[in-house]
Amino acid sequence: MNTKITEQNNELVAQFEGRLDTAAAPQTEKELAPLADCAGKNIVLDCNALEYISSSGLRLFLGVLKGAKAKGSHVYITGMNDDIRNVFNMTGLTNLFEFR
Amino acid sequence: MDAHGERLLAQYRERLPRLEELRSRVEGLIGHALQQQGVDVSSLESRIKTEHSLAGKLERKGSKYSDIGDITDLLGVRVITFYTDDVDKVAAMMARCFDVDWGNSVDKRKLHELDSFGYNSLHYICRLPQGTAPEELCAIPFEVQMRTVLQHLWATINHDTGYKSDVQIPRYYMRQFSRIAGMLELVDDEFSRLRTSLADYRRQMLSLVASGRLDEVELTADSWHSYLETHPFDRLNHRIAAVNQAEIFPAQLEGYLPVLRQLGMKTLGDVQRLLEQESDDAYLLAVSDLAVTDLDILSESIGLQNLCLVHVLKMGGGRAAVEYILDTLGGSGSNTALAEAILQRASTLPFMQ
Repeated sequence: MNTKITEQNNELVAQFEGRLDTAAAPQTEKELAPLADCAGKNIVLDCNALEYISSSGLRLFLGVLKGAKAKGSHVYITGMNDDIRNVFNMTGLTNLFEFR
Repeated sequence: MDAHGERLLAQYRERLPRLEELRSRVEGLIGHALQQQGVDVSSLESRIKTEHSLAGKLERKGSKYSDIGDITDLLGVRVITFYTDDVDKVAAMMARCFDVDWGNSVDKRKLHELDSFGYNSLHYICRLPQGTAPEELCAIPFEVQMRTVLQHLWATINHDTGYKSDVQIPRYYMRQFSRIAGMLELVDDEFSRLRTSLADYRRQMLSLVASGRLDEVELTADSWHSYLETHPFDRLNHRIAAVNQAEIFPAQLEGYLPVLRQLGMKTLGDVQRLLEQESDDAYLLAVSDLAVTDLDILSESIGLQNLCLVHVLKMGGGRAAVEYILDTLGGSGSNTALAEAILQRASTLPFMQ
């Protein structure tokens, strides 16, 4: 599992590659830490190369959302494959995020 | 019995008529106070200690009393409430009605160690306040016991099977009594919590109904917001969450208003009917997805989302209607495959047969 954070067009973009499961979650959480400094910038969670997400991964996404909302930033999810879209749907979390 | 005991028994016989009068007054006062405060109790009972019972007490510890007035439970009153909260409420009422002898009153509920369970009851030693009755009545102490129905049940069974037994009760059975006491304490707390929740729910619903019955309350942003404050979907959410013992993450449900309107809901009554009529099928639809996963975090919107999906599926809305809901709730534009998958899964469920 790889996570890379870049800044593009005044947005913080987190690109995920691989399987965001329970085993990968602790490391990914560390790699997402810079997103806590998002004041004034929106966040994009780029899932184009994300193959799988577990409950642990969903909790990381929710943590990012919570932190961003507190700073007045938006969180957008982009590039979900059908399986991940289905996970968001069956957990009802679709309603919490904004999608591109 | 010794001469001292006989003298106290004679005083008792002499005092009996006044005890009867006191009993009548005290029961009347308590009954009136309960009625005034609107406290429903399981029972209000009283008894005057029988001569036989008093004689037994005097034989056991007669030297402890110098005068019949030292015996504080010749008249005993018991108020048995339905809820633990009401025990404290009744206690406050007793403190207003009577002069309480705090030095001799005891809260058995507070006597237990942190890890022990047993007899729970609140005992006040009281007298009628001076000037409210003839002086000879005001001088007589009486005991008021306050406890819940479940505390009473435990105390009664424990007393009948434990103390009156002529054999030593093994430790194993004593432990069983303690375990039951602990369980009943939990049940008492749960009943109190349930009553508080129901009262909150009722207040909120009544405030809605005050502006018209639910069928007459138009579905607007304001009324939807008020309705959500009653947490109408909690039960369904928890039922769904139980499948994977999932955590429920808070969510704003305001965004569902356009979906509900699109589904033809015009009043809160329509939404309430959706909840009442489609909950079982919404549960089935949600579980058909979740049960084969280990996903243990859900949004608070999970129940309502599945209610809406079930509604359009049953109305024969097909893939387009499902896709509309998914698009409206987020992730617009890429939900065709997901809508088709939901349709396929739902087609195997009983409500679509």
